[in-house]
Amino acid sequence: MALKDELRKLEQDTLSSVENASTLQDLETVRVAVLGKSGSLTGYLRNMGNVAKEERAEVGKAVNAARQAVEEAIDARRAVLEVAEMDARIEAGAVDITLPGRSQQIGSRHLINRIIDEVSDIFLGLGYTVGVGPEVETDYYNFTALNAPADHPSRSMQDTFYVRDMSGDSAAVRGESDVLLRTQTSGAQVHAMEDKPLPIYMIAPGKVYRRDVADPSHLPQFHQIEGLVVDKGITFGDLKGTLDHMCKQIFGSNRKTRFRAHYFPFTEPSAEVDVSCGVCAGEGCRMCKGTGWLEILGCGMVDPNVLQMSGIDPEIYSGFAFGVGVERIACLKYNVPDLRMLLEGDMRFLRQF
Amino acid sequence: MLVSLKWLSEYVNVPQDLQAFCDRLDLTGTGVEGVEHVGDAFANIVTARIVSKQKHPDSDHMWVCLVDVGQNNTDDSGNPQPLQIVCGAQNFNEGDHIVCALVGAELPGDIKIKKSKLRGVVSMGMNCSERELGLGNNHDGIMILPQDAPVGVPFAEYMGKSDTVLDLEITPNRPDCLSICGMAREVGAMYSTDWKNPLPDAASKIVIEGEAPANAVTVSIEDAKRCPRYTARLIKGVKIGPSPDWMVERLAAIGQRSINNIVDVTNYILFLYGQPLHAFDCAKLADANGDVNVVVRAAKEGEKLTTLDGQERTLTSDMTVIATPSAGAVALAGVMGGLSSEVTDNTVDIFLEAATFEAGRTSRTSRNLGLISESSMRYERGVDDHEMIERSAAAAALMVEVAGGSVVPLGKGGCGYIDEWPQVSQPKNLKFRMQRFKEFVGADIPQDFAVDALRRLGCAVENSTDDVLDVVSPTFRPDLEREIDLYEEVLRLWGMDRVAPTLPASAKRVGMRTKSQEISAKVNEVLRASGMNETMTYSFAEPGDMARLRLPEDALGMAVQLLNPLNSDQSIMRQTILPGLMRSLSYNLSRGVHNVQLYEIGTVFSTSEGRKKPKERTKVVGVMAGAMGNKSWNVEYASFDFFDGKGVLESIAYELALPKVRFRALDCESAPYLQPGRAAEMLSGGNVVGWVGEIHPLVCKEFDIDTVVVAFELDMNALEKSTQSARPYVDVPAFPPIEVDQNFVVGEDVTHEKLVQVMNSAGGKLLEDVRLFDVYRDDERVGVGKKSMAYTLTYRAADRTLTSEEVERAHERLVNKVVGATGGEVRG
Repeated sequence: MALKDELRKLEQDTLSSVENASTLQDLETVRVAVLGKSGSLTGYLRNMGNVAKEERAEVGKAVNAARQAVEEAIDARRAVLEVAEMDARIEAGAVDITLPGRSQQIGSRHLINRIIDEVSDIFLGLGYTVGVGPEVETDYYNFTALNAPADHPSRSMQDTFYVRDMSGDSAAVRGESDVLLRTQTSGAQVHAMEDKPLPIYMIAPGKVYRRDVADPSHLPQFHQIEGLVVDKGITFGDLKGTLDHMCKQIFGSNRKTRFRAHYFPFTEPSAEVDVSCGVCAGEGCRMCKGTGWLEILGCGMVDPNVLQMSGIDPEIYSGFAFGVGVERIACLKYNVPDLRMLLEGDMRFLRQF
Repeated sequence: MLVSLKWLSEYVNVPQDLQAFCDRLDLTGTGVEGVEHVGDAFANIVTARIVSKQKHPDSDHMWVCLVDVGQNNTDDSGNPQPLQIVCGAQNFNEGDHIVCALVGAELPGDIKIKKSKLRGVVSMGMNCSERELGLGNNHDGIMILPQDAPVGVPFAEYMGKSDTVLDLEITPNRPDCLSICGMAREVGAMYSTDWKNPLPDAASKIVIEGEAPANAVTVSIEDAKRCPRYTARLIKGVKIGPSPDWMVERLAAIGQRSINNIVDVTNYILFLYGQPLHAFDCAKLADANGDVNVVVRAAKEGEKLTTLDGQERTLTSDMTVIATPSAGAVALAGVMGGLSSEVTDNTVDIFLEAATFEAGRTSRTSRNLGLISESSMRYERGVDDHEMIERSAAAAALMVEVAGGSVVPLGKGGCGYIDEWPQVSQPKNLKFRMQRFKEFVGADIPQDFAVDALRRLGCAVENSTDDVLDVVSPTFRPDLEREIDLYEEVLRLWGMDRVAPTLPASAKRVGMRTKSQEISAKVNEVLRASGMNETMTYSFAEPGDMARLRLPEDALGMAVQLLNPLNSDQSIMRQTILPGLMRSLSYNLSRGVHNVQLYEIGTVFSTSEGRKKPKERTKVVGVMAGAMGNKSWNVEYASFDFFDGKGVLESIAYELALPKVRFRALDCESAPYLQPGRAAEMLSGGNVVGWVGEIHPLVCKEFDIDTVVVAFELDMNALEKSTQSARPYVDVPAFPPIEVDQNFVVGEDVTHEKLVQVMNSAGGKLLEDVRLFDVYRDDERVGVGKKSMAYTLTYRAADRTLTSEEVERAHERLVNKVVGATGGEVRG
């Protein structure tokens, strides 16, 4: 029968068109031509009414079979073409991955504050609070309460900036004043002992001032981190262990520390702490001036007078205190060649940290 | 303080290993700041002996010698081998002992000794003349040493010129160490070894002879506190002249220039025993009748004294002087002598002062006059008032030895000295609780060690009970006044390095940051995430900075003035961080860095009449110039303008959950440093927390900046007050939104803020968000003085999907209200 042959031919032609479709668009054209609303195969279904009643079932079956075959072929071909087109897209989409990325500009933390953050984190981990104090202090908090009374020679260790006292008081020495730019963060110790309940475990980072002309190794303003512990049973060994831990955290666990007896008015016994030179590992080199050691901080057991002045009984409590020069760490750890760079605000310097 | 090891080793054994010695000094508290080898100038110069001498084959005046230099030249098996040296001198014979410069030696005048050939004969060194050695002018021939001179010994050692001088850092608590004897005692304690005190022998040499002076010689102290002890001796008939070589050398080794024999003795005794002395020309102290009446008294306010350095000083009543009724002030007590009573070549009689003066007052006097001397440095740290007669005796005896004359009878029973001692210092009795000490240190230090260490430092130690030592600290150690002071001594001598490191045992602590630190950390994070770079500038400011910002001088309160600034550019404390950042910005621009984003969080200062301490506030200030980055292949950054700064503040406000944030335009009156029209203050909950704007071109000019600068400032304290710990949670939307784009053409005077306000109030609950996506101006299409503001409005209900009818109704109402409230219109 002719209809069946027609259908077979249509099916054959369609299948070959499907096979020949090289793009998804071609394939869609073929699909619409055969299976679309006015598609050729659809036409047979639409014309079913004209088919003789007794043939209807058979024709219908044949049409449906043809349609199913075509649909399957189209689906199969579509899958193939889709993969091919995706591959082509991928190939065309390849970029030079060495081209620079589209990154956000991230700002930078100042090296000094970066170090202060680092040290603060070390001591937060040891259970210390982080405190602050004023930069302009009275003579009492900067010297007297730290056991360096008026005319004490230890005061000449630090050249002090004095501030005009607007209260009308006058100082014993001409050109000096009761009000000054703090020369050390140690005043924070006194404030803490006066204000805080015991025990005290605290550090106080901050800016300090000394009357040094700015040069590669001096600045009239720099930073210290003051540490203070007051508790029952605090030993000199605790001071050593704490600072040893800090130095190893900052400089690396292979570094050693050395305690040299020294004098500070507010601690007794007092010591200066050296960390072994990282350049020569203690052998002696230019960095450490041949000694194998780099001076890093001053420390000691809190002087009983200082405890007493703040109303703490030194027979019951003991403690230790230390002061670290932050710029000193910057020099030792990051080899900053000239301290003045820290205050110039040169973007090319700042963005390195 | 400079210490000659040669001198020191006369009184205590100084270890051979210099490095180990210096380390021990360092670790026990005496910092070694420098080491100088005095004999270095004579390196490779040795004593030698002429073995043989023969005529040079090719010269009629030169000799070819074999010179024995001992072990300085040996054969392979280590036997000494004489060196062949060609020599032009004529004054020597075989067997003479001479001085030989070996190959490698450097002689004064930059002469380097090398192996050489002189008219064809090899010469391996040089026989030296005194002039060649820099020892004198004698160049008649080579230097001939005595026959008993050893052979092959370094010349510096043979001449006794070999010395090592240490520059020691003596801490302010150790006045006793400011002397050779004090250091000898210290070294003895460091090594548990005995030292020999030269004082008893030196003092015993004194002979009191001759006649007591015919005239009265008296000393009176007006205020015992100012002068606890004053002793005087009279040495008559001295002859002023040069000091003996040994004394010149010793003083030279520690950096002291020789003056004359009398002054040198006072210096020598000062450095040896730590006792400042002053030698007056007695004749200059005498009154018209020949009496010498020395008074130690307060200086008169405004009294003048010309000190030894030739400077006329104006004194205050806080200072103490040595005076006589006729001559007035003749010396500034404890600091420096006066020029008028100075020992000169014509001086015959010496009035020798040995005294103690009040420490704090000496220190003040020194600082007030800017005059620090070897004496004042010792007095301000404390000079022992005991054994003063012995030290003065040693000095007087030495003066007689080097300058002749005699120490004449004086004082009680002609004992040879006047002694006014109104205030006697007492040794202190202290307890040393051994167990407590060990617990304090955290180390098991034996009692025997503690006892020995304290005794060697000069303390008397008795054991009263098993645990407690009774310690008497000596008067030369004013720093040993409490038990803790003794702990320090024992610990430092035991060695801090020997104490095991531990951590505090208590668990009663938690690490915490304060609220302001947390806020500061958040602000820092946002600023860095916004591409800002943190910097630091000087806390000092130039007095002209306020004017540079076009602000009246008192706009930010009264500036805090420094009494002793380093320079006039830094004579006050900053009242604002902005000028510092402007300078940093200018610094970058002038170095070709055009994209600058800087911020600083720092303190600003201000004060007011009647205030002691100034007010300190923490500010965060930022400046931006250029763009966020350079144009790149795939990104192009817009140049910074007002809105970059505002964006940063908005991010901070979001991160800190500041409530009710709004910006209010700032006029030129209130912010003259900002460009009007591009300046705003930021408010939170009605309070001003900061400002943002573009810097006024005139201000930029003051800082040599020729580009747009965006700046902002926030007050950290205000932020801390406004911040909320967290924003309340809002449900994540469950139903879809409907977005409508809508433009309004309004007059220039209608602000975005106003439009948003009206839209929010008109939009009701359904209006979720208003987003401005375009601002358009066009004289023809929009109209002169008008702008087209295009918004995307987001409508959403929390409990259902909105129908388009609902949205249309709501939107129409909104549009009508906006048009009504702003006089604007809608254009398609």
